[in-house]
Amino acid sequence: MTLEAVLVVAAALFGIGVYGALSQQSFVMLIMGLELMINAAILALVAFWARTAGGNPQGQMLAIVFMTVMAIEMALGFALVTNVYRVRRADITEKLRRLRG
Amino acid sequence: MRPDASPLVAALAVGGVLLVGVYLVAVLDRVVGAVVAGAPVRVGGLLAGPVRAAALLLVQRYRGTERFDAPGWALAPALLLGLAAVALGLVPLGPDLVAADPATGFVVFSAAIAFVMIAVFLHGWSPNAVFPLHGAYRYAAQALSFQIPFLLAMLATALPAESLSIVEIVRAQASIWNVVRQPLGLPLYLVVGLAVSFWGPLNLPDGADLAEGTSAEDAGVARLLWQAARAAMLVAVAAMGAAGFLGGWWGPWLPGPVWVLVKSVALLVVLVAAGHLLARIRIERFVVVAWAVLIPLALLNVFIAGAVLL
Amino acid sequence: MGGADPAGAAERVHRGGGVAVTESLLVDALFWLFAVGSVLTGYRVFRTDSMVRAAFYLLASFAGVGGILVLLGAEFLGMVLILMMAGEMLVMAIVMVMYMMNPAGLNPMWMVHQHRVAVAAGVGAFLVLAGLALVADFPDRPNPRPEMATEQLGIELLGDSMLVFQTAGVALLATMIGAVAIASRRGRYGEADEGSQEPPLAPESDARR
Repeated sequence: MTLEAVLVVAAALFGIGVYGALSQQSFVMLIMGLELMINAAILALVAFWARTAGGNPQGQMLAIVFMTVMAIEMALGFALVTNVYRVRRADITEKLRRLRG
Repeated sequence: MRPDASPLVAALAVGGVLLVGVYLVAVLDRVVGAVVAGAPVRVGGLLAGPVRAAALLLVQRYRGTERFDAPGWALAPALLLGLAAVALGLVPLGPDLVAADPATGFVVFSAAIAFVMIAVFLHGWSPNAVFPLHGAYRYAAQALSFQIPFLLAMLATALPAESLSIVEIVRAQASIWNVVRQPLGLPLYLVVGLAVSFWGPLNLPDGADLAEGTSAEDAGVARLLWQAARAAMLVAVAAMGAAGFLGGWWGPWLPGPVWVLVKSVALLVVLVAAGHLLARIRIERFVVVAWAVLIPLALLNVFIAGAVLL
Repeated sequence: MGGADPAGAAERVHRGGGVAVTESLLVDALFWLFAVGSVLTGYRVFRTDSMVRAAFYLLASFAGVGGILVLLGAEFLGMVLILMMAGEMLVMAIVMVMYMMNPAGLNPMWMVHQHRVAVAAGVGAFLVLAGLALVADFPDRPNPRPEMATEQLGIELLGDSMLVFQTAGVALLATMIGAVAIASRRGRYGEADEGSQEPPLAPESDARR
């Protein structure tokens, strides 16, 4: 389990996330793509912490900040999706041609 | 079971304890039911009852639904059983008699409990039928509400130990058990424990006498496995309660492992009896109680535990 | 890739103090299992025909990454990631089913746009990042005391990085309030589904504009 191997796995997850976030029409599937990208970032970060930081715990700290970002993205994303659905009956991005409320 | 023993021995031991525990739950359920109903307790019949029921399910015909999700349906009972094994494997029988003692034992246990809702949702969703899906949504509502009070109630026990390891949590109760130190903890844990294993008054997601439950479409071996996994989860919850609140292996006269067993069985009797003595609670009432009463109580418990330590 | 594997891995890492070849072989085998599993299930998220299945695949992918984090020595982070994701995926599945036409989310679906661009961007991102990972020269400074990782993190959280920790907590609180405010049905000027528009300034003008 070398650092390079973990980073390549993280890159693969990130690539899949980019594909999902760009290609999916459904809001929730789009959020899934974003989640995969953040997850890949966490993986790469922890790999760097484990192999190059010499045990400096601030690497883990940063990973916790990333997890917070993930939770915030998820909560706000779903709140927005709920609101958009109520007002516009829209569940895919194409139905949102106009962003003004 | 000692740290130098092989993982295989530990896994076999946990599996054996689970098997015995499931049988014990089935027998206890019948005994408590007979006592509550005022019926005569016939030892032979009660001991053979679970075996007979299991044998009946084993020869029952397999049944499927239209366009069901086969992998998910097969995986759900196995997942629940595995989660029960993970949770039980963390419970120490003695200071160095434990299947697994990771430094983050509390988090591993919490993750196992969080995955229970995935297992139940998978079990209700995969048959592609109405009634199981209703059960799955009910459990989802129940599970999202019980997660936080459950974590907070367990978290308070980690404070005096200053460690997330379950062994350390038990070790810190040498002079005084957590049930005395944190009187709110155990009742909270037991209420939410019933919700975790959807047992007794909180078995609306999977009641045997209700039309709507996640196992409504199960038959034969699948149903037997699911019921066994549910009982195994109850055993794991009881054993962890004994370790977290009742001082695990600490106790006079008897050796440590016996104390763990006695305490676990006592909690198991309480949990099983709740199913026969208390009326079923509707999900929306439980959700309101969980968010508005149980979480503040659990927070209060954590604050008191922290204040005592300061 | 359920809950059993990461816990078993945690146990093995915890005991991995002794230097043993079989131990590192086991860690390597587990790493490749988790790595291939999480990438494959991550790919299946966008190639499956049901939203609930997609959520389960994503959860499996996350569990795999959590397992790798545990193998890397970040026991706490890995287990917390798995713990967090279980609840998140359930919410995700429920939200998806709520906004889709079929209640169980079992209908086939294939809803994509700008597919070629997306594939190119995904493959490009992978190639660039993987290339960087393979070409760049990283220092080799492993954690000298891997068994203390959780304790180090705890001391860091409530010591030097207290401010960061608190900021994250306040941000989460603000998110909770904001999410409830956005998603609540009743807005400042009435129900959300009826538009929740502010009343006109002059009482006799048209309320609906």
